[in-house]
This record gives sequence, structure tokens and C-alpha cells, in this order.
Amino acid sequence: MTQTAPLLSCRGLTKRFGPFTANEAVDLDLFAGRVHALLGENGAGKSTLMHMLSGRYRPDAGQILLSGRPVRFASPAQSLRRGIGMVHQRFLLVEPLTVAENLSLSLGRLLHAAEVRALSERFGVAVDPQRRVEDLSMGERQRVEILKLLARDASVLILDEPTSVLVPEEARELYALLRALALGGRAVVFISHKLEEIGRTADEVTVLRRGRVVARNLAPASDLDPAELARLMTGSALPEREQAARPEPGELVFAATGLAGGEGTGFSGVDLQVRKGEILAVVGVAGNGQEALAAALGGVRPFAAGEIAFLGRSLPARRWGGQRGSVAYVPEDRHGRATAPDLDLVDNFLLTSPCGAGLLPDFAEAERRVRRAMEEFRIAASGPGAKARQLSGGNLQKFILAREMDRRVPLLVAEQPTQGLDVAALAEIQAALRRAARDRAVILFTGDPEEALALGSRVGVMYRGRLTLCPGGSGPQALERLGRLMAGLEAA
Amino acid sequence: MIRLVPRHGGAVRSGLWGLGLALCLALVSGAAAFALLGADWVQAYAAMAAGALGSAQGRMDVLIKAAPLIFTGLAVALCCRLKAWNIGAEGQFVFGAVGVALAGLRLFPGGGAWLLPACLAGGAALGALWAAIPALLKTRCGVNEILSTLLLNYVAVIFMEHLYFGPWRDPAGFGFPGTAELPEAAWLPLWPGTRLHLGLALALACAVLLWLALERTRFGFQCRVLGQNPEAARYAGFNVDRLTLTAFLFSGALAGLAGACEVLGVQHRLQEGLASGVGFDGVIVAFLARLHPLGVPAAALFLAAILVGGDQLQTALGLPGAVVRILEAALLFGVLAGDWLAARRLVVTRAEAGHAG
Repeated sequence: MTQTAPLLSCRGLTKRFGPFTANEAVDLDLFAGRVHALLGENGAGKSTLMHMLSGRYRPDAGQILLSGRPVRFASPAQSLRRGIGMVHQRFLLVEPLTVAENLSLSLGRLLHAAEVRALSERFGVAVDPQRRVEDLSMGERQRVEILKLLARDASVLILDEPTSVLVPEEARELYALLRALALGGRAVVFISHKLEEIGRTADEVTVLRRGRVVARNLAPASDLDPAELARLMTGSALPEREQAARPEPGELVFAATGLAGGEGTGFSGVDLQVRKGEILAVVGVAGNGQEALAAALGGVRPFAAGEIAFLGRSLPARRWGGQRGSVAYVPEDRHGRATAPDLDLVDNFLLTSPCGAGLLPDFAEAERRVRRAMEEFRIAASGPGAKARQLSGGNLQKFILAREMDRRVPLLVAEQPTQGLDVAALAEIQAALRRAARDRAVILFTGDPEEALALGSRVGVMYRGRLTLCPGGSGPQALERLGRLMAGLEAA
Repeated sequence: MIRLVPRHGGAVRSGLWGLGLALCLALVSGAAAFALLGADWVQAYAAMAAGALGSAQGRMDVLIKAAPLIFTGLAVALCCRLKAWNIGAEGQFVFGAVGVALAGLRLFPGGGAWLLPACLAGGAALGALWAAIPALLKTRCGVNEILSTLLLNYVAVIFMEHLYFGPWRDPAGFGFPGTAELPEAAWLPLWPGTRLHLGLALALACAVLLWLALERTRFGFQCRVLGQNPEAARYAGFNVDRLTLTAFLFSGALAGLAGACEVLGVQHRLQEGLASGVGFDGVIVAFLARLHPLGVPAAALFLAAILVGGDQLQTALGLPGAVVRILEAALLFGVLAGDWLAARRLVVTRAEAGHAG
């Protein structure tokens, strides 16, 4: 790689939201021909920085330089016209329309299938122009998004956590694609907080911590020590993994056969069992029915069919919702479902806590318990009166888990509890889940096969609405196998 | 260049800033309305102040007028807690009045000491019943409650007119439309030597009770959660439909009590002019009070003073009666604009020529 002038760079870029400074005096250089990884914990300011480069936010101070000349963008459309395109974590596609139609929308003129095929070949991005976006896998949708930007001649590609929605197989394809696009003379930058991703993909790494650059253009990424990167990200060494011996599984808490959701929920014929002292990890790619299964197990949505034995008492699955009081449920959507963001922590604690029952909720007791939880789970918040929305993702998740563990019910269903969390919070949540399993049964839903293997006493894979239990094991072979099961490439 | 940008953390928490802005905006637009009508606005405001507060008579009128406004303001504020919009306090007010006439004239015409409580209960019950219709339409069929509550107001008024023009018309009324007068045992007691009836005390008690219910009880807590995030309410296992219905029943009962007190304390019969927009004014009261039950009495007194003072404009300055309605509208828009402005701050930036890109 020749050392040339950067294609896109910024100097002293600063963005404030009210009293909070999201980015402070950030310098960054992106070179044509290189894949750049932007690493940092949640809330470190990675997305804010990328949104400034792509025109969504306007910087409060500092400069953006495109090929050495200062530029200002008033909107994402404007920055795309100058060749800077961003693939968001949540794709901006019209799902009922075909790939060709989505591309036509973005280009502002009607594209024929043949033209799309030509584009697809030219850039080496495989897509089928005739298929509807809603029928595509997450990886395929991502390729459509990338092709949209390439068709507009984007020379700088920004991807926000591109692998978070992909199975390992698809992630490998994405890495190859990013490399090829960089070799074609583009600058590629992606946001990540997964350390292992960086080594495989990036030519160079920039690390953000609390809005500031702590290490710039470290290169090449494959030479970097993950432990060193973690230290840069968090400012401290990684917390030691709790290696407590797994407790012996105890009594059977929950056993179900033939569970099925209503129409459109996408799961059926699910059998599962979980004992006290056990974590059953259910892993799958988003959209394979595990969201609906988790909500139904949590008692929030009804089952349509099946039989359940709960603590030895059997009941039809349709009546499981009536057991809402005996199951603790940590839903995936922290702000949308697990809490009311504009209410304070005491109110949010009372949502599911037994102190909230009865004619007069015990606000004082709830406040005591919130204080205790804040201490025990090291939740950073100004106090029990803080609004849920003021907590960071990791702290809010710790609060929700603390609330559900405080209920001391025999079954805990946790759905994607570590999604989007930074390294430190992730380790704490995983430790808390292990603690929770000591005296109850835990069903953990996760999209991360490594987490499933690390935490699960047993691991099941959801694929197209069916749950398959896989044999145990660890190491790269087990992970490989799990990835293939999740992608439907192999049957157990 | 001066720009308005959203404040982080939403509106200034004291809320007083927005309220002050609301009042200023209302005063300014009221002054503009007076100017358009060719009146001197200083003189007009002075006449209003004198009319409402300048005499014992005026002050008494303000207190009497405030009682039903407190009830309907509470009714609107309660539903707003769960982000449901009860624009039907007017209809529920009317049904409250009908409930009184039903109990006092039809069911127990010869009643004794318990007639007054029976009439109040009848008013609250029919008000709640009228509110149950939009609540059930909302929870069972997904009908938007803003439309159903609003439209049912007109149905209620026409229904009451039918009663006092038709079957319940007073045969000894010399042809005037209206029911017979209620027995005196049903009238609300008056403060000795004045026309001020017990309704004001009942309304204040209801404000305190509602405040306690919303802050301290499970019902209030559930309303709070449902209003902030319905999905969280379902997650917590609350029966959302039952909660919505309960809130509408209480809301209707409060508005019904407004109508009941108006009949039992002032009019003593159903007649023309009973439905004078008190229910609609409840919306303004509720928002002026920032939806806080303890703020409602203050907001109701304030609006009552404007209404009473506004009546003076006709006699003192010869302005059309509708000018009061303009002031009311200015007040509501002032509240809305005040909230919007209070959630923003002024930012002065240097004018920058030509954005690149």
C-alpha cells in the first residue's frame, strides 16, 4: 500500500448533544484502497462520527476534508452526491419491492433487471434483481444496500456494525467483498465492537473512547493484540471471566412439547426442557421464529398449541400467559418493551416487581430495591429517580436483569441480553446470567453462537421455526458446526 | 442567524417557563383581537379585570363558574395520563345533568334526605355510562376515541333537548322548554348568604382524590405506564383494555358530576343554555394545568375569571360576545405554542455564506 494523501479525513471534529459531548476534536484519515475499522465501546461516539461524515449530523466544530478540500454536508443526500455513502444498521429498503425497484428508487430512474445484473457484475456484488427484499436474508439485503451506494459511485463506504445481523458464513463473504471493494480504489470504514472481527478484516484500526480518538490508524490490524485493543477501548484490562464450576442441574422446571405460535409467528413443533441450575441457550439468525418463541415463553404473547409441564404441573400451552407472574422475562427491546423510557427507575422496577402488586404499590420498598440493585450490579445512574432513557444500553440492561432476578421466580427467559453492549457490560451481564442460573432455570436467546457455547449448558438452534438441540462441545469445530446449523447448511 | 433548536432533555422541567409563555402569547393575541375589533386593548383588559375581580358579585361568579370547570378539567387530565383523549366531557356533562333529572324527577320524585346523594350518584353514573361507549369502541373495535368522544357530544346535547322539549317537559312551564324544577331537598347546600354551592368543595375534593389515586395507587401507576409505553404495559401483564375502560369510566363520572352540580346547585332543572361548552373548556383547563390534578383548580379559576370578565366586555365596551371564545382559543394555542417553545432554545449563529457540497 502506498502512502498517499487521505481520500477523506477530518480534523478537530466535535459534536455535542446538549451538555453531552459525543465527539471531541476527532482526527481521522481514510485512505483509498484500505479497509478501516472504527473500534470503540457503546457510547464511544463511533456512530456520531460516521453520521457527521455521511451528512446526517452537522459538526459543532472542526473540518471534514474530501481529497484535501474542506466540505460541508447539509444532508446525507448531499454527502452521497460527493461519493460518501453509509449502510445503516437498520437497512433503508422498501421490503415489499424487488431489488431492482429498490435500486430504481435510490437512483431516481427506472432500472431494468438487465441493468441491475450489469451493475451487480461490474461491482462483484451478487444480487437477484427480481426478488422481493422481504424474501432476502439479512446478508443479501446488506448487499443490496451496498450496491445502492456503488451504483451512485460512492468512493467512501461507511458500514455501521455490518456483521451484527449476519451468520458467520455471511460475515466471511462480507469481509471478502469489503476487501475487493477497497482494492477497487475505495475507502471502506466499518464500525465494530467485536475484537475478533478487526483482525480478520481491517487494514488499519482507529479506537475511540468516550468521544476521543485514543489510537489512530494502527496498522496493520492483523498484528494487533486483542488484549491491547480491549485495553484501549475500555481504558482498563478486561474483567476476568468468572470460571465458577457449573452447578449440577436440579429439578425439572419447565418442559414443553409441540409448542407452536399463532399464524405468522413462525415457530412450531418446538420441544424443550430446562432444569434448575441450567442455561438452555437458543441461538439463531434473526427471523427464524425465536423472537416470537421468546415472547410466548415470557408470557407476553400466546401460544397456539402445545403442552407445558411447569414445576411438575401440566397445563395447555395456550394458558401459559396466565403464569406471567411465575416467569421472569428480559425482552430484546430494552426501551420499547422492557421499560417505559420516560418513567424513573422506581416506576420501571415496579413494572414486574411483586412490590407493584396490590392496590397500593410499595414505592418505598421498590426504591430500596433499586438502590440495592444499583450497588450489586454496578448500575451507573444518578439515582432511583433517574429516567430509564438516561441510562446507557449496558446499564439499562443490568437494571432490567436485576429487576427480573429480584423476583426470585423459578424460570428466567432472557432474549438477546448482550446485544449491542460493550465488552465490559457484556462480561457483567454474562456473569449475572451465570449467577441467575444457580437457583433457577434460564432460557437464553442469542444471535451469537460464541455466547451460546460459552454460557449454555445445552445449545439449541432455531432455524425456520424449528428448534434443534445440538450436541455439546467447544472449540472452533463446535462453533463451525453451530454456524452451519444456523444457516441451514446442515441438519443435526 | 437565529435558529430554534430542540433542548436536550425535553422541556424545562419547572414547566413555569412554558406556562408564562402561554399566558403572554394569549395576552398578545387577545390584544390583537381587540385591536381588530376597534377597541382599546388596555381598556378591554381593565374592564375584564374589573368585571371578574372588582366586585364581590364578580368574584362569586368566578367561583361558581370554576366548579364545573374543575370537574371537566380533571376528566380530561385523567384520560391524558394514558394518552387517551377524552374530548367528550361536554356530552358526559350533559348526561350527568340528565342523570340528575332521572333520579330527582322520575325515579324518586318524593325523595327525602338521601335524594341529593342519589342525584349525584345518578349524574356520575350516566356520565360514566356515556364515556363507556367510546371506551368500548376503542378497546373492542379500535375506533379512534378522539372522533367518537367528540361526535357523541352532539348526540348527547340533542338527546337532552329531546327530553326537555318532549317527554320530560314541565306541563306547568307555560310552554317554555325545560323540565320541572327539582325538589328542594335535592339542591346542593349554599354557603350562607351567597349563591356559592357545595359543588366547588366537591370539585376540590375530587382534585385531591384524583391526585392521590394517580400518584399512589396501582391504578395510577398502571395509567402512567400505559401512557408512556403501551408495549411495556402489556409486557408487565397489565390488562390494557380494562385499564382504558376504567379510566374512561372515572373520567366520565367526573364530567357527569360537573353536569350534576350545575343542575343541583345553579339551574335546578334541565333547560336551554345548560350545555354551554364547559366540557370543551375542560380541555383548556387540563392543558393549562399541565395535566396535573392539583393544578386544575387554579387553571379553572383562571379560565372562569376570563369567562366572567369577558361577559363584561359586551356591556362595558359593546364588543360581541364571541370575543371571549377568541380569548379562550388564544389561551389554548398559547399553551401549545408555549410547550413547543419551552422545549427549544434560541441559538444565534453567524450567518454563513454558501454551504459547500
